[in-house]
Amino acid sequence: MLLTTILLIPLLGALLVLTIPANFRVLHRGVAIFATGLSAILSLFLLFGFQTGVEGYQFVHKVAWVPSIGLNYHVGVDGINLGLVIMAAWVSFAAALVSYEIKKQDKLYYSLLLLMCGGVIGTFASLDIIFFYAMHELALIPTFIMIGVWGRGEKRVYAAFQMAIYLSIGAMIVLAGLICLYAGAGAKTFDMQELAAICAAEPMSLPLQKWAIPTLLLGFGILVGLVPFHTWAPLTYSSAPSAPAMIHAGVLKKFGLYGIIRLILPLMPQELHPWMEILVVMALVNAIYCGFIAIRQKCFAMMCSYSSLSHVGFIFLGIAVLNNLALTGAVFLMVAHGFLAALLFALNGWLHQQTGGTAMANMGGLMQKMPFIGFIMSATLLAGCGLPFFGNFVGEFLILFGAWQSAWHWPAALGVFTGLIISAVYMLRAIRQVLHGQSPAELSGVVDANAWRKLPYALLIAGLLAIGTWPMLLTGKMKEAVSQTLEPVNSLTVQDQINTPSE
Amino acid sequence: METFESFLTIGLGHYLTVSVILFCLGVLGLLTRRNLIVVYMSLELMLNAANLALVAFSYFNKSLDGQVVVMLVVTIAAAEVAVGLALIVSLARKKLPVWVNDLNKLKY
Amino acid sequence: MTNILLAILFLPILSAAAITLFTLRRPTVSAGISIGSCCLTFILSVLLYRGAVSQGLPLEISFTWLSVGALSVELGFLVDRLSLLMLLVVTGIGSLIHIYSRGYMQGDPSNSRYFAGLSIFMFSMTGIILANNLLMIFVFWEMVGLSSYLLIGFWMTKPSAADAGKKAFLCNRIGDTGFLLGIIILWGTLGTLGFSQINSLLAANPAALGSWTTLVGLLLFCGVVGKSAQFPLHVWLPDAMEGPTPVSALIHAATMVAAGVYLLARAFAIFSLPAAWPESLAWFNFSALEAVAFTGALTALLAALIAVQQNDIKRILAYSTLSQLGYMVMAVGIAYPVAGMYHLTTHAFFKALLFLGAGSVIVALHHEQNIWKMGGLLKRMPITFFTFLVGTLALCGVPPLSGFFSKDAIIAQAFSKSTCLGTISVGVAFLTTFYMGRLFFVAFMGKARSQSAEKSQETPPVMTYPLILLAIAAVFAGFWNVDTWMMRHYGLEPESAGWFAKLLYPFEHAPMAALLSLAAVACGAVLAYKLYYNAKQDVLPSQLGSVARWLKDKFYLDELYENTLIWCQDKFALVCDKFDRWIIGGALVGTVYHGVELIGRLWRLSQTGSVQTYAAIFVFGFVVLAYWVVNW
Repeated sequence: MLLTTILLIPLLGALLVLTIPANFRVLHRGVAIFATGLSAILSLFLLFGFQTGVEGYQFVHKVAWVPSIGLNYHVGVDGINLGLVIMAAWVSFAAALVSYEIKKQDKLYYSLLLLMCGGVIGTFASLDIIFFYAMHELALIPTFIMIGVWGRGEKRVYAAFQMAIYLSIGAMIVLAGLICLYAGAGAKTFDMQELAAICAAEPMSLPLQKWAIPTLLLGFGILVGLVPFHTWAPLTYSSAPSAPAMIHAGVLKKFGLYGIIRLILPLMPQELHPWMEILVVMALVNAIYCGFIAIRQKCFAMMCSYSSLSHVGFIFLGIAVLNNLALTGAVFLMVAHGFLAALLFALNGWLHQQTGGTAMANMGGLMQKMPFIGFIMSATLLAGCGLPFFGNFVGEFLILFGAWQSAWHWPAALGVFTGLIISAVYMLRAIRQVLHGQSPAELSGVVDANAWRKLPYALLIAGLLAIGTWPMLLTGKMKEAVSQTLEPVNSLTVQDQINTPSE
Repeated sequence: METFESFLTIGLGHYLTVSVILFCLGVLGLLTRRNLIVVYMSLELMLNAANLALVAFSYFNKSLDGQVVVMLVVTIAAAEVAVGLALIVSLARKKLPVWVNDLNKLKY
Repeated sequence: MTNILLAILFLPILSAAAITLFTLRRPTVSAGISIGSCCLTFILSVLLYRGAVSQGLPLEISFTWLSVGALSVELGFLVDRLSLLMLLVVTGIGSLIHIYSRGYMQGDPSNSRYFAGLSIFMFSMTGIILANNLLMIFVFWEMVGLSSYLLIGFWMTKPSAADAGKKAFLCNRIGDTGFLLGIIILWGTLGTLGFSQINSLLAANPAALGSWTTLVGLLLFCGVVGKSAQFPLHVWLPDAMEGPTPVSALIHAATMVAAGVYLLARAFAIFSLPAAWPESLAWFNFSALEAVAFTGALTALLAALIAVQQNDIKRILAYSTLSQLGYMVMAVGIAYPVAGMYHLTTHAFFKALLFLGAGSVIVALHHEQNIWKMGGLLKRMPITFFTFLVGTLALCGVPPLSGFFSKDAIIAQAFSKSTCLGTISVGVAFLTTFYMGRLFFVAFMGKARSQSAEKSQETPPVMTYPLILLAIAAVFAGFWNVDTWMMRHYGLEPESAGWFAKLLYPFEHAPMAALLSLAAVACGAVLAYKLYYNAKQDVLPSQLGSVARWLKDKFYLDELYENTLIWCQDKFALVCDKFDRWIIGGALVGTVYHGVELIGRLWRLSQTGSVQTYAAIFVFGFVVLAYWVVNW
């Protein structure tokens, strides 16, 4: 029930906002902040109520919906989605807090924002693939409207359409893959848990796997921004208002990664290896290629978008090497990157409001003008290049150690190079251009955040620091879920080793 | 001789032939006439050609199914005429052309 | 014991947090918190020293920080002779420099930020020192990089300072890439990262690392090259002088840059393994230690040469630091980490002293750093003058000052290993005396060369007392048995001797090395006196011509990197960007986008608008369908 409450509060909030007349602007905002804040605080009870060392899902709530085709409302968390749900709730709260930048049509905006928040929490809480999919769409569609109506810049409508088309195509492909899964399991169930049990008992037919894996990978890849299906991301994030950019880049984008972990790894282990080998290469391409592009960006938002794509490459690497350590790292990095991306786009919003643009060449010396935001921005950018005691560092080194352990030597080496050098080059360049140096005369009106507006930044950076200094908070809870996810593949590998004589 | 006699005895084939001729006339009218009302009449002609075929089958197969369908077709035709003629009349009232060629607003 | 250790590690970070959260607008309070925490850690370190010695060494305490599957990362403390020595040096000198900073940074509006940075640094540095495993070292290795970045770029509105901070961070990151990869490989082959476990595993089986042996050593050494600013990554350290002078003294002279040497000493068991390369790289065939030794020697020589033609007082000292770090690294490379750590300790004292003295001069001359605008400081700044003189003599290696003993230990060992290295080290000793003599004669002696030098006054006691204390340490550190302490750490049995025997020991033990280095010092001093005493301007450029220019322009290494590595990186980034924008975003996405649009445009031509055309098409289609159905 707790999970249901957490995800229903924002959705009910959206309905409530719709019933409030348009001129009560404070109330709209109040309801949004209250609803997201409440679900964020409730999400902490998940963290502390979670029983470590227990296999399977907890906080399960299951209601039969259409029994004839095996469709249930089914939510629950295990180690893998626990962190994601909590992160989603907190990022939603921060997104609601930074929404003061919206000056028109508040009512529509806040109801859409709350829909989005409910959607992202629901996406990661769902254990039924139809709900999983539908919740993602529920969060996606408001993004489209929000970019089009409240977005920045001339190209916002184009950006909104590009994003919507890309992501709808991705989602359609995913849907086709999900239907494959449903049909392939042949047990009339959409339940992830039951599907996993069925596939463990009797593997899905190999030809089906051969088709379903690439289909799902392609769909999820488009949703996450795997090169070369990534061009929607920079434009979208630089045109979107802060809140949807934060939720989309931070949380919603993890849908694809989460889907791979939940639906491909445990359900279709037999045909996994060749595709994962390809995915390792793709992941590195993402990490390095997008990293180098980020080096060249002149606009802060574009740089953040490409850096986000580069980090996503890291997460892909963690998934693709099929190793417990690396998968733990990947999940950890998903949570950390959620906070990080949200911070980056929140900061981008602040820069945009204060300076009227995001071209880094026009900025400089802002550390003097806005010490608090400057401090948060330095911390965020440094966290993004893998500074210890921030979450990203833990995720990245777990992935690298895992990759090496799985005998993926050269990807590990390239990963070290990317994580330590490329990210540092563009992150430090941004600090140098935006915060250091002399500030131009046009920026004399720039001010720091006041106490109330500091809150979202402080919350997000606290999240990053909390998991970075005390990683066992998450990793300790992940052990069972991760080994369960990889158990089918690992047991196969062991069999292979028994079958093939060693050298 | 026998074939000629059977040709003279009116059977299913005759009915169907008439039906086909009527239907083709209807199609031709539909495609070639320019006046909306005449196009409408051609449409009715086609429906009735089909009705004729249905009734003939019904009679020769000793089954009432065909006649039931005819009733349905007649009803639909009536409804359709009611809507269609109403549209035409309202077009005429607005002094708009009732020539098919001029009604091409759905063009790209 | 555990509580003391935890307090030593976490006091500084708590004070940094307190400053950041509460006292940013109260510089005095911030300074108090930071200085207090640092002095307290020093006192605690002394207590730890007494406690640990009485309890018996080594002492290991660890808590699990992160444990996933086979990887377990510990927050672990390893207290042995090595870490105790380093801890005392760092907290002791750190305290003095904290106090000195109070005077040096007087009146700076961002004082609180400065002291917060210093506290973060102390936290990170103690972390490196106390760590019992490599990954924890790496974590704090990154953190010292961060504090260095923050403090170099402290005056961030100054573009040169901001750039220098960035450069330092990136150079360190290049080194750390190798370091982390080395750690990963080490873990992948040995399955552990704790020093005690590594040592016992390698002692039991020196071939435990298999064909990775030398590569692991070299990769770990990459971290050292970055942090200790060895060739070819040394370029960041001179630029780092953009930071406030106490920072240069603490971080970029005495402690942080020495962390690389500390790591070499700490992980000596890995570096000292015999050479073993993978099959495909077998033709390299040198051991990690050889690479270490030659890198160190090359850095020492290169930096000493460059120092000869620099004019900024802090830059001269920075190159001198590089050169001395080269000595230390070389000492480890010739399999004698005892001498490396010994020189690290004495160097920490006299180099901190020199930097603080330079800082004192800089403050007195209103931030003038060019030595050719100083001069005549004996009367005006006597304390600074004499303490600086002590530092200079110690650095040059004049007996019985501390630098003599530690440097001689290295030179003697170098001669016993290889004549080439020995010659280089003696040559560097000569150059050291020469450039330090040049610095001293030009900046302190003779007549005042500028108005600000004429009007200079001695700095306040908060700055001079640390100078005096450090000068005492620089004089007597040679008699503190640092070498015997370190020898015991490495299981060697030192000869016990009184202070007089200690003084004579170098001449008895390896008379040639000692005499050669003394001769080098004498030559250097005489030459410097001849050329620079009362000199109006530098005579070397006219006499040496283009050689002097190469020295002055640091062998054009910065320009070389600028035009090769950075150029390549930039162009590659440019290609990626253009590819993304025009090929993927333009051509590929554009093809799909415009293709769809084109098809739409063509297709809508069929929409004639004439109902009868549609009907005709329909009928035609029906006929075809009917024909097909009937004939099928």
